[in-house]
Amino acid sequence: MLAAALGGNAGGAQAQSLQRVTVNGFTLTSSAASPHVDVPFTLVVTLRVRERIAEVQNIDLPILAQLELLGDERETTSGRGGTQYRETISVVAHDAGPMTIAPATLEAIDARDGKPKEWYTNGLSLRVVGSGSAALRAGSHALFDALRATLWFLLWILIWLVGIAAIVLIVFVLARRRPRVPAPVPVPTEPPPRVVTPAQRVADALAVLRAERTRAAAVTVRNAIWQMIGASDGETLGDVLARPAAREPAMRALLIALERSAFTYDADLAAAIDDACAALGRYLDSTV
Amino acid sequence: MIAREPAELRAALAATIVGQEGVLDALLLALLCNGHVLLEGPPGLAKTLACRALAAALEGEFKRIQFTPDLLPSDIVGTRIFDQRESAFATVLGPIFANVVLADEINRAPAKVQSALLEAMQERQVTIGPQSHELPDPFVVMATMNPLDSEGTYALPVAQMDRFLMKVNVGYPTREQELRILDRFAVADTQPLRAVATLDDVRRWRAQAHAVHLDEKLKRYVVELVASTREPNEFIDYGASPRATLALAFLARGRAMLDGRDFALPDDVRAIAPQALRHRIGFNYRLAAERMDADRVIDSLISAVPAP
Repeated sequence: MLAAALGGNAGGAQAQSLQRVTVNGFTLTSSAASPHVDVPFTLVVTLRVRERIAEVQNIDLPILAQLELLGDERETTSGRGGTQYRETISVVAHDAGPMTIAPATLEAIDARDGKPKEWYTNGLSLRVVGSGSAALRAGSHALFDALRATLWFLLWILIWLVGIAAIVLIVFVLARRRPRVPAPVPVPTEPPPRVVTPAQRVADALAVLRAERTRAAAVTVRNAIWQMIGASDGETLGDVLARPAAREPAMRALLIALERSAFTYDADLAAAIDDACAALGRYLDSTV
Repeated sequence: MIAREPAELRAALAATIVGQEGVLDALLLALLCNGHVLLEGPPGLAKTLACRALAAALEGEFKRIQFTPDLLPSDIVGTRIFDQRESAFATVLGPIFANVVLADEINRAPAKVQSALLEAMQERQVTIGPQSHELPDPFVVMATMNPLDSEGTYALPVAQMDRFLMKVNVGYPTREQELRILDRFAVADTQPLRAVATLDDVRRWRAQAHAVHLDEKLKRYVVELVASTREPNEFIDYGASPRATLALAFLARGRAMLDGRDFALPDDVRAIAPQALRHRIGFNYRLAAERMDADRVIDSLISAVPAP
């Protein structure tokens, strides 16, 4: 997938703190075009820049309201050709149907002309496939796929056996000609992906709302908290309060405060956001 | 935040009427939104009592009109009679000149009588002879229909149904509620309901309800909900009118005010949507043929529209 590296000017006030990079590629990919319900899959944001930098800043990931976030892993690799930043987000969908994932954004100073800009990745359109009933409906497809998979499996085993036999033969021949080489150093295993805890998410939400006291930020935080407790798009506060995750008094107060900040009139917005920040703080205290 | 005065009125009504929270809420919403209510339910479910209690709690005037096949428009709006002493016609105002009017079994009267009432509901004035007379303010009509006994009735035309702000299906009380009814009405002389608000209070509440904030996201939600009734559906011939959109927005504001808020929420819209829509949608024969419930169809329409 090609990078969509065109964007408008980023805010002038922020320009001082932005990184200066030459963007060569910025993409968003999914490990599955048709993920299955309740089966984890990954979304990968890849950024390639010409410069060698230690870390990448100001990347905004898309809001994954229809997905449950399982983990997030970031990797920055620098070399002669520049730096590659790769963020792997493990997610799972709980509802079948079409799904659109918005592009990720990057704010930085374009090293080519020295101007602050925004870059966007491509968006993604996925179709989440249902599990039980959908599989039954697609019975013939499943059978065909299973048959094909079995044949591929057998073919792979055959290729592996031939390959292993060839390797054994080569090693045997080399061992008779050369002295024994030292055993290879085992590759260190990667650490497990970082899992964002609910408390971390609430702390992030509090930081967002304190930094940006707008209705849009309040709605974003409300949606993030709803997503955190398993609510889906289209539910109302009444539905969410009925969920087991919302039984805790601190969480109930938080949900009600966020709803107010999302729907109250402009003159009451500042007070509503204060109330929501206080509720976020109380919830954090209650989780300690 | 606004004062909880409408809630006090509700509490006073609830002290008289056991159960029937839907009817009490509908009455209060009709007051706050300056609309009228159509109640459908079997006889004996305290519809008249609720109406009378509302009028008493407001120090307002209550009138009940029993609709029958031989009723005439003049029996409702009034008439002019010749005064022989003065040698001139005098106007006698009909029972519609009251703050709370119960139009009992509205579908038992022919169309011209229904029209006389519904015209008064819409214009809030009646014309008797050459003179127009303003109806009192507030003016709330509670019309009832009995779903069990449909022989000899005249169905209300769609355009007339549309004039009602909301339609409430009145159901039977639970066993516990019925036990409480037994206890409450066991004594011979029950205490009359004292006035807890004035008609001026109602006018003030109405202005406050009108000022309740309805966010742009909620306005779009209201429009989407009503528009969803006009989408092709195997059980629906025609959907709700733009008057339903207005009614839904009014009612959401009223419900928010009853809850002590000065801004409406998606829950307000969704909770009130069945009552604002059910009498404005034209269901076809398949509904009866497949023994489907109209409210289930409406619920499925509502749940298909994602709340903001």
